[in-house]
Amino acid sequence: MSFREKTAWLTLCAIVIVTVMFWLHSPTGFNAHNHHWVMLALLLSLGTYVCIEVVGYVVLRLRYPRDARTPRDERERLIDLKALRFAYYTFVIGTFGGIFFMLHLVHAGAGTIGTVVLAAFVTAQLVKHAVRIVYYRRDA
Amino acid sequence: MAPTAITNSIRRLRFEHGEMTQQELAERVGVTRQTINAIEAGKYSPSLEVAFRMAGIFGVRVDDVFHYGGAPQSPKDGVP
Repeated sequence: MSFREKTAWLTLCAIVIVTVMFWLHSPTGFNAHNHHWVMLALLLSLGTYVCIEVVGYVVLRLRYPRDARTPRDERERLIDLKALRFAYYTFVIGTFGGIFFMLHLVHAGAGTIGTVVLAAFVTAQLVKHAVRIVYYRRDA
Repeated sequence: MAPTAITNSIRRLRFEHGEMTQQELAERVGVTRQTINAIEAGKYSPSLEVAFRMAGIFGVRVDDVFHYGGAPQSPKDGVP
């Protein structure tokens, strides 16, 4: 397994852990009564994510120093670009599809739409790293 | 990435050059071992720069390392 694949697994796991924690412990959607709580939950989630990423990356660098020193090569850059394209489409479809659904079919408020956009962003990140792993696995 | 129409003789050339490992070749070319493995397996076509660097390391021409197995193209192909 290449170093970049290990970091992709690390990021994917970090996103899943933080997302599950956030959705389990935060109220659904922003509104006038809970926006402080939601912002706090978002900041805590972001902090947890950064901590997992930094600690995990340091551990990986210490365990595989030679792999970590190898610069990203052309194939890895190509895989990153392909993954980014999948993530972009996921984000666009998720955001616009979600906003359309929430506005026209559910008549939801701005808070719920904000949650939908956040969910689209997180899903796009998950897709990006999952696609990276698939391409790394396929060519290994 | 889909298999390409380009085949190669990297494995044979590695063995002819003192049984060079994929890791050694990767370090000399400046890519990862996984990329050398993907190129050798025909799953990834490298850039011209990497192809020339590989040929230089083996001391042969690029077309001694890589072989195009597709249909021959007419000179007009690729001209806009």
